[in-house]
Amino acid sequence: MYEIVSSVRRDYIADLARQDKRIDTRTMDQFREVSVEVGPIKSAQGSALVKIGKTQVIAGIKMEHAEPFPDKPDSGMLVVNAELLPLASPTFEPGRPDENAIELARVVDRGIRESNAIDLDKLVIKSGEDVWAVFIDIYVLDHDGNLIDASALAAMAALLNTEPPEDEAWTLPEFPIQKRPVTVTVAKINNKLMVDPCLEEEGVMEARISIATIEDGSICAIQKGGIGWFSLEELEQVYELAKVEGAELRAKLG
Amino acid sequence: MEKPEKLIENGMRLDGRMPDELRPLRIEAGILERADGSAYVELGANKVLAAVYGPREMHPRHHQQPDTAVLRCRYNMAPFSVEERKRPGPDRRSVEISKVTREALEPVLFLELYPRSVIDVFIEVLQADAGTRTAGINAAAVALADAGVPMRDMVSSVAVGKIDDTIVLDLTKDEDNWGTTDMPIAMVPRKKLITLLQMDGHFTKEEFGQALDLAFKGCEQIYEKQRQALREKYAIKQEK
Amino acid sequence: MLYVQNRELVVPGQLIAEGGYRVHEGAFIEGKQVYASVVGLADLRGHDIRIIPLQGRYIPKPGDVVIGVVVDSYSSGWILDMNSPYTGNLFVSDLLQRKVDLVREDISQYLSIGDVVIAKVRDVDERMRVQLETGEPGMGRVEKGKLVEISPAKVPRVIGKKGSMLNTLQDVGECKLMVGQNGRIMILGKNPRMINAVVEALLMIEREAHISGLTDRVHLMLEKIKSEGGE
Repeated sequence: MYEIVSSVRRDYIADLARQDKRIDTRTMDQFREVSVEVGPIKSAQGSALVKIGKTQVIAGIKMEHAEPFPDKPDSGMLVVNAELLPLASPTFEPGRPDENAIELARVVDRGIRESNAIDLDKLVIKSGEDVWAVFIDIYVLDHDGNLIDASALAAMAALLNTEPPEDEAWTLPEFPIQKRPVTVTVAKINNKLMVDPCLEEEGVMEARISIATIEDGSICAIQKGGIGWFSLEELEQVYELAKVEGAELRAKLG
Repeated sequence: MEKPEKLIENGMRLDGRMPDELRPLRIEAGILERADGSAYVELGANKVLAAVYGPREMHPRHHQQPDTAVLRCRYNMAPFSVEERKRPGPDRRSVEISKVTREALEPVLFLELYPRSVIDVFIEVLQADAGTRTAGINAAAVALADAGVPMRDMVSSVAVGKIDDTIVLDLTKDEDNWGTTDMPIAMVPRKKLITLLQMDGHFTKEEFGQALDLAFKGCEQIYEKQRQALREKYAIKQEK
Repeated sequence: MLYVQNRELVVPGQLIAEGGYRVHEGAFIEGKQVYASVVGLADLRGHDIRIIPLQGRYIPKPGDVVIGVVVDSYSSGWILDMNSPYTGNLFVSDLLQRKVDLVREDISQYLSIGDVVIAKVRDVDERMRVQLETGEPGMGRVEKGKLVEISPAKVPRVIGKKGSMLNTLQDVGECKLMVGQNGRIMILGKNPRMINAVVEALLMIEREAHISGLTDRVHLMLEKIKSEGGE
């Protein structure tokens, strides 16, 4: 099943973009209202519910014992899974994660892993035999666009909220977070760039690019999506947006 | 945790409740934007979300029924909803619960008004503490009404069981684990017609009768909260 | 014997009346009792009971004006999405209001996928197969304008008693509105600020359809935005 954006709507949105305007009167560099609620799920070690406009995503953290990868005997594990629940949109069907769910999980994973947000080296119980596996499960509850930023923010907020498991094997004073990566997605419509595309804008955009940055402005992950392209000048603009808007989102993590 | 010596002492259960008391119940209608209808239920530590899409076009075509809508139900638990992480995807338990949930809701819906279409009900358990299928049915019934699907009445659901030889209402996970009997029920409250009934454990005939009585009482309370949730969505707000 | 008042909010399964009443949409009879089947407002007129639903998908009926989006085409016509569980069928002869020689004419010149069309429901059969036509003035393909989608249940409120709400929106909002029974509305106007104001008004109507005094509130809101102008 797919959603059709009528040609009239498409022309309308593209026309507004040409004038640096958007359908919901936001500016090109403005996010919708962002809210972060930490700890709603007590059965998880950490959890967070993030709302960006009407998009709602919940992330839950579970920790388990696991055997480390043979080539990384002294490192804990990070597993990120995302579900586009059929609840969230008439276009999401039940079943195994499709390419969109898989891309979403891997993009969120990249931002957290590549920035070393979690000090995985500290999550070893017995070298080569027993380590902590951190499972981040992202559950999309309501889809009104920009699932990537909402999911990445929910994952990070959940990690910051994580209490260690009640297990004698846990010896650290707290859950080892050392960086706060934040992802910002920029959409391109009619050669104009805008952050935080809502659902209708996503239906019309030529392409999008998501950039994860950490506190000092350095980049730890990038993902371009959609069948359009970005020029070098556009990439510079995208980076600036990601850095500035990223800092504002990071402030929401408290 | 080890089994406590007594699950009920002087008429008081481990969580302080009396045998005929429901856990704290909260129901909210219309909390999702995209879905045609939705509801959120908290029953004790259970947190369950239900969404309805439909009536909508049924694909593939050959699954369409020429003179009625088809009702589809999916019950699913989040990996982080339980103590030990649950791998994503349907397991045999979820498939069975999806089926009995559909069969609990279908009798009240006027499906014949929407030939060739499908009504999808999605139930997601975000946090579990026994009684998730009952919380799911309560949420789904409100979500269906919220979506404007015509129905004869609500469907209200609760579990009854036996712990230490006492019949009790609305079991927690501990009570379910350490007790002897668990019986989830769903009914159409106005006419006391039962649309879901499952049981495992042991009941004498008398105990079964007592359990049903207790279930009726519990469902009546839940019924009120379901209707209240629908009314509250449209309550005139004071601030303008 | 009536158990609720006119315009009272009712929920499914609620007892509305007992005795000899005629029921229409949103209610059903069991024995001698009348019950509501949907969440809505009780509409009680003499012996007739109906419940005006506050929610629900659009179900096409003959005579309805709808705004559809072309989703598929075939040799002699198109399939339109109507924001409904049921799609609408539009034969090229019903679009052009004349016989068409399919050998000579390529119908793809008239409509493409994604086009917006204002049409009327001519016929619905018992399998809910819908035939559309575009015979009346103002119907057919829509070139431009702002397309808004609201809950179909709220469309009567957008029109209002004897068109009062629609007149308010068009006069104060300085726009022309084409309202489809299926919840889709086309807004045509010259002033983008007023177009957005009308969109806000439509969303307000959707939220507050069940609260009285809405036409006045919408009027006030549009007047306020208009006077804040300066363009």
